[in-house]
Amino acid sequence: MHLDRKSVKIVVAGGFGTGKTTFVGSVSEIPPLTTEEVLTQASVGVDDVTGVEEKSHTTVALDFGRITISPNVVLYLFGTPGQDRFWFMWDELAQGAVGAIVLVDTRRLDSSFPAIDYFERRGIPFVAAVNRFFGECAYTEEEIRGALELHGNIPLLWCDARDKSSSKLALIGLVRHAMSRMPVSA
Amino acid sequence: MTDDVWDGDEAGTGRLVPLYILVNGRTSPRAHDLDLATQVFALPVDTRRLEPEYVEIVKICANWLSIAEIGAYLHLPLTITKVMVDVLLEQGYLGIGSPAQEEIADLRLMEQILAGLQQSLNARD
Ligand SMILES: Nc1nc2c(ncn2[C@@H]2O[C@H](COP(=O)(O)OP(=O)(O)OP(=O)(O)O)[C@@H](O)[C@H]2O)c(=O)[nH]1
Ligand SMILES: [Mg+2]
Repeated sequence: MHLDRKSVKIVVAGGFGTGKTTFVGSVSEIPPLTTEEVLTQASVGVDDVTGVEEKSHTTVALDFGRITISPNVVLYLFGTPGQDRFWFMWDELAQGAVGAIVLVDTRRLDSSFPAIDYFERRGIPFVAAVNRFFGECAYTEEEIRGALELHGNIPLLWCDARDKSSSKLALIGLVRHAMSRMPVSA
Repeated sequence: MTDDVWDGDEAGTGRLVPLYILVNGRTSPRAHDLDLATQVFALPVDTRRLEPEYVEIVKICANWLSIAEIGAYLHLPLTITKVMVDVLLEQGYLGIGSPAQEEIADLRLMEQILAGLQQSLNARD
């Protein structure tokens, strides 16, 4: 039995050090939390569940926050782990997500390319958000779009991950974009 | 092949998967819709027969809490949290909310989120 309590998930992604944790922290109504997953090296078999005897374990930390939308709807924001090798967690985070914000550091545009590629391939709605905390941006919108291979229909936003309102505006931009891609039906 | 970074081995390091640990005779939750954003809450049931680790979970779920929050507050790895919550659901100690949005487009829910975000923006909290 499912009670009328809904969770909505948004992923905050981007390259290493693009401001994901800062973003989650600035919009969350609670101090951002960290949950951990213990990972192990899989031998070969994909569905092999005998990990207990494996030797090397790694812990991956996930930052997340929450925004209560209404008495029965809570929005959870999950930051992706900084390192690419934790790709497994991306699947877990993206599953059922309404969309993703891909933060972009203008000093290293290419660092956010894998994130864009990830959501693009899976058809998950996303927006690219240039994080202003790295100072004045030397590129035009076209240059950034070109470098990120952003399709014309993907919004490119600007935000300051340290600022609550600015970050919330980016979330609003994402929700609007995700809604625009939904089929109109009754 | 351009998708090897995400979908395959990286530089021969092998792939990382969650460490499966045997908890109460199982290594993964049976309810497949247990997502880390799924919220649960404690049902008014006598917990005296439960082991302390499980009682801890029931206790912090006096109000709705997500799997991720339970893991964070109790310092439990996610996979273990999921399995333990699954056990508690099955034994009737916890109630469960809807899982994070499935494929079905839920425009009304999105409208609610949009309105909620705009409201909180105007509130300037
Ligand atoms: N220039 C500048 N850098 C900042 C500011 N605030 C934080 N940083 C730095 O920017 C980096 C990224 O911030 P985080 O929010 O931790 O970024 P992240 O994307 O979560 O990083 P990873 O999880 O390591 O990938 C950190 O190294 C911070 O020290 C700021 O106001 N200005
Ligand atoms: Mg971080």
